[in-house]
Amino acid sequence: MSALSEQVARTVRVVIVDDHAIFRSGLKADLDSRIDVVGEAGTVEQAIAVIAQVQPEVVLLDVHLPGGLGGGGREVISASSALRGSTSFLALSVSDAAEDVVAVIRAGARGYVTKTISGPEISDAVIRVADGDAVFSPRLAGFVLDAFGTSPAEIADDELDRLSARELEVMRLIARGYSYKEVAKELFISIKTVETHVSAVLRKLQLSSRHELTKWAAERRLL
Amino acid sequence: MTTAMQRPPLVRSSDRMIAGVCSGLADHLGWPVKYIRLGMVLASFAGGAGLAFYAWLWVMVPTADENARRNSRRPASPIAPAVSMPPSVSMPPDTTAPDAGAQPLPLSTPAPVFAPWFRMRRIQYGKEILLGAGLLLVAAILIARQFGVEVPLGTLIPAAAILGGAAIAWMQLDETRRAGLVDKTKADQAGGWVRLAAGLALVVAGVLVMVSGSGSWEQTWLALLASIAVLGGVALVLLPWGLKFWKDLETERAARVRETERAEIAAHLHDSVLQTLALIQRRAGSEQDVVRLARAQERELRTWLYRDAAKDAGLLAERIAAAAAEVEDAHGHAVDVVSVGDAAMTDRHEALVLAAREAMHNAARHGGGAVSVYLESSDTGSEVFVRDRGPGFDPDAVPEDRLGVKESIIGRMKRHGGTAVINSSSGGTEVRLKLPVENADKAENRNGDAKA
Repeated sequence: MSALSEQVARTVRVVIVDDHAIFRSGLKADLDSRIDVVGEAGTVEQAIAVIAQVQPEVVLLDVHLPGGLGGGGREVISASSALRGSTSFLALSVSDAAEDVVAVIRAGARGYVTKTISGPEISDAVIRVADGDAVFSPRLAGFVLDAFGTSPAEIADDELDRLSARELEVMRLIARGYSYKEVAKELFISIKTVETHVSAVLRKLQLSSRHELTKWAAERRLL
Repeated sequence: MTTAMQRPPLVRSSDRMIAGVCSGLADHLGWPVKYIRLGMVLASFAGGAGLAFYAWLWVMVPTADENARRNSRRPASPIAPAVSMPPSVSMPPDTTAPDAGAQPLPLSTPAPVFAPWFRMRRIQYGKEILLGAGLLLVAAILIARQFGVEVPLGTLIPAAAILGGAAIAWMQLDETRRAGLVDKTKADQAGGWVRLAAGLALVVAGVLVMVSGSGSWEQTWLALLASIAVLGGVALVLLPWGLKFWKDLETERAARVRETERAEIAAHLHDSVLQTLALIQRRAGSEQDVVRLARAQERELRTWLYRDAAKDAGLLAERIAAAAAEVEDAHGHAVDVVSVGDAAMTDRHEALVLAAREAMHNAARHGGGAVSVYLESSDTGSEVFVRDRGPGFDPDAVPEDRLGVKESIIGRMKRHGGTAVINSSSGGTEVRLKLPVENADKAENRNGDAKA
């Protein structure tokens, strides 16, 4: 799935935040040798404290967490904004609700994957996020297409509110279950270019002031 | 009331002059409403007897709506059908009208304890006989007065009024509640009986003073004072009970709602999650079975938790998801569906769903591993992509007699004006189904063809 062999040497320091201890230990066992789990947390308060203390490169963050003000994963990201430059967040969720996913991405998460993801896949995703790239699951790509519409942007004005034709193509392929490598092959572009497009889409998703986006997510309870 | 059960129930008719009493009575007795009305008017001249009777029926007889509501609610006690009372023969409809809402709320615990006590005292039509006897007595007294016999009316009338009032109040309660009431009165005997006795004494004294008073101002003031005392007494008697009833009623209603919800959730979890967990424990050795069961259960639970009642199940996205679920169950491979946009179902979309389902079956059967399905619907048409990560195959090398791909996917899409492209490599196979939107007249033709 990845062309990351050159990065095998280094390890990524990760904190796992999930309120189910069984899931945390299972996930820990699933992650491969490139990943070093340096901390765990089960509530919003614990997560904020642990993240501030160990300053990991990546936080695997459950969207739904007890404690805090009830904001779950979103609240953890907001509270850790001081570390924005050095720590990236990858949202993990069992919920398919667009509302939850879009909220956590807009709070600053670099990607979103479902909890049923396999060990190697999540390890790749962690490495990717650690490298500053975005991780889109097929479902998240589907949300993006649904929220931004499937017709490309024509004028530069609404650049933040629309996806470019190329970005749409990339999102469509990801929604169809293609890996980044397969997307690159299909579109005859480099993996790096795919990553650039995905990061651009993520930025639009986070920054777009398009009020429909929030409204859309609220209305769309589940796909 | 004291007639055969085949008669229509005594209810106030909606076809009314004043309150529907006469027409209701006419329906019940099977007499022409004209005569009933005439009789009522004539009786009104006989010392206002007709008026009193009319008013009494007005208060006591429920309207048809109320009656229907009560009867329909009574057997429909969802939680404890065993404790809901069957319609009682000796419970005339005219005694419970103001009570209609509270009727189907049995105080379940005391009921069995007190049942024999009531059964012993329950004579068929007992209340009616009692009432009739009382009315006959009144008539006898009136007749006696006509013939010049001295009757101590000054004491009889208030006494009768009070007894009648107490009887009516008592009759308002249905049996279980009466049982509960007796139970409660016993529970705090001292206070309860003292209050009851004091209240009754006040009522009796007040009414006596009022009735025996003469017309003078001084007397009227006294009477007024007395009536205030009466009201105070009545309030003293009824307030704590009323409050207690109200509280009981509220608690019970809330408990019932909670219980209903809990029962529904419990029933659902039992039918679904517990069964699945039991199956998983028994099939723990087979990884594929466990995965299949867990997936199916997850899907089912998700639908149940997040089901959107407003969402039309007849739409394309829903149908594709259902087809994916079917394939998942059949083959035990996860089939992930991502859909963007939606479209209404037509014959052509039906064909798209069937072709997609066939493609999913193939992907799950030959591909191995997870299957990705992507549906995109827009103004220009609908597209479905089914992708697996199997070893791939050469579509041209498929033998002529294998109809799966050729007929069910490619042929079906072509017949309905769509296209099917199969892209297979060593990295997996992807089936792309495309169904463009057709303009109306062409769509008509297509539908005609499909049916022919």
